[in-house]
Amino acid sequence: MTATTQPIRAETAATIAPVGDRGARLRRRLAYIAMITYAVLMFVPFAWSIITSFKTLPDSVRLSILPNPFTFQGWEFAWNNLNPSLPVLFLNSAIFAGAVTLTNLALGSLAGYAFARLKFPGRELLFVVVLATLMIPDQLRLVPIYVGFNNIGLTTGIAQYIGVILVLAISATSVFLLRQYFLSIPHELEEAARLDGAGFFTTFWRVMLPLATPALSAVAILQFQGTWNSFFWPLIIARDQGHWPLSLGLVQFRLAGGFSNNWPPLMATIVLATIPILILYIFFQRYFVEGVAAAAVKG
Amino acid sequence: MGVGPAASVAAKPPGRTGGRRGSGSRAEAIAGYSFVSIPMLLFLILNIGAILYAVYISVWDWNIRSGPVKLVGLDNYTRLLNDEVFQTGIKNTLYYTAIWVPLTMAAGLFLAVIVNAKIRGRTFFRAAFYFPAIASSAAITTLWIFIVQPNGLFNQVRGAIGLNPLFEFFGFIAKQNWMGDQDTALQSVILLNTWTTSGTFMLFYLASLQTISREVYEAAAIDGANAWQTFWRVTFPLLRPGHYFVATVAVIGGLQLFDQALIGGGVNGDPNNALMTTVLFIYNASFKRFDFSLAAAAGVILFVVILTATLVQRRLFGQAPSW
Repeated sequence: MTATTQPIRAETAATIAPVGDRGARLRRRLAYIAMITYAVLMFVPFAWSIITSFKTLPDSVRLSILPNPFTFQGWEFAWNNLNPSLPVLFLNSAIFAGAVTLTNLALGSLAGYAFARLKFPGRELLFVVVLATLMIPDQLRLVPIYVGFNNIGLTTGIAQYIGVILVLAISATSVFLLRQYFLSIPHELEEAARLDGAGFFTTFWRVMLPLATPALSAVAILQFQGTWNSFFWPLIIARDQGHWPLSLGLVQFRLAGGFSNNWPPLMATIVLATIPILILYIFFQRYFVEGVAAAAVKG
Repeated sequence: MGVGPAASVAAKPPGRTGGRRGSGSRAEAIAGYSFVSIPMLLFLILNIGAILYAVYISVWDWNIRSGPVKLVGLDNYTRLLNDEVFQTGIKNTLYYTAIWVPLTMAAGLFLAVIVNAKIRGRTFFRAAFYFPAIASSAAITTLWIFIVQPNGLFNQVRGAIGLNPLFEFFGFIAKQNWMGDQDTALQSVILLNTWTTSGTFMLFYLASLQTISREVYEAAAIDGANAWQTFWRVTFPLLRPGHYFVATVAVIGGLQLFDQALIGGGVNGDPNNALMTTVLFIYNASFKRFDFSLAAAAGVILFVVILTATLVQRRLFGQAPSW
């Protein structure tokens, strides 16, 4: 069926098209080639890091697409020589990203729901305060938060995890995205639940939260990616290397760990640090795009 | 967290429509406050509280162990403004912002217009153009350093396709050390961040483009406008709220350049402070010089600069969106 409709459409298009159609088609084709080239160019650096991770050091600075010889030396070197080891760094990244995602979902949906649906004095003012935090640079907060956390012991031992998670626990973006979504849900369902005798929390938990799954997914993806990739707050608060995430480990090893120009293990670490996000992106591309775009809609 | 649940129903006017209005019952208010309590506490302490604490630290002579030693008023600010490294940081940060913001906005808008057009495979192109934005700053900057190092992919490819004479004309040798040369280090970072951020700005602009109604374009087509005229006369002006949002985000982000500077140039922004930025200065003052009051003063100044820039932009672009 499609086979028959296709040529007809092409034909009508050709008859309607104005003079100079051939020039337009050529331009279109050139534009496509340019776009495809640019799109491929986007993947080249990451592909290059994968290739390099399987090369030897002398081979890594040669312009050859296939590793010659193909070797796991870089991976082995990274595996054996990173301190803390790759699994520890990986686990730390997972702990930070998992915990921060959960806190943002929990606190973000509670606040987002309240700002969208519950009436209480001072609501608008509090919401303005939440949005205003977007304008406060992290760097202004560097000294006070470090000094404050240091005073209450959140920069040593296991508390470093809590320190990093606490700073990232709730972002204004999460509250904003969830509030916008709750605003878009019709009032009827909620009112029905309330007439059935459900309290505010039950209505939120049983009725509204399941309806907000798309927004929750977008927040989860954004927060997981953002925290997995985070560099600044772990750098400030996680002072012991045993608590570093992968991003921090990678940088510290290049700057101070004698890895500076040992490219294959560095590339192996980059690949490992990027793969979880890459997998998320491949499967949940829609949420990445929608989450980022939703943040812009307020503009 | 105990939210008085059952009471709420009784407090509501008996099941009539219109009960939504004026139903701000006590129970509802209590529920509202308890829902926002923990998030608001965190926002207030870690943001508003942090600002006040930063201002407080900045007017003291602050000891790393014992805390406040002596109230010195604005001495730290005077010291800061006379600090040559800080001046270099401010200069580099402003230079970076002035070049990077328009460059990335233009790139993002260009990509957005492309993926907003009715073309085959637009989902693929959108995903591909956004791809560089998904990796961490640590990974992408390290990768970039590898690519633009003297023996790196960039120098080798330009040699292989015969572009070296062109680069030589501009005074760059075949083994130019882009990140290691103080004349090109900051430019390399600008290019890196334009590449990685243009995908994000593309998505921002795309959301804005999709708010423009079809009728406007149809009207332009009836008036005989070509694609170029339509873009500059119709699309570009109608994107005003989008421009405002992207510009605000971009300037705030630009003035906070840090990760790439530290990863590329270490704690001193090497080579020769070429990558020293305002924020790197704050980090350096805190954790290398252990001069927290100087760092706090620098943070306060950076905040004032960002606030001013945002307000100026609001003036330039007219009425602000919701925030």
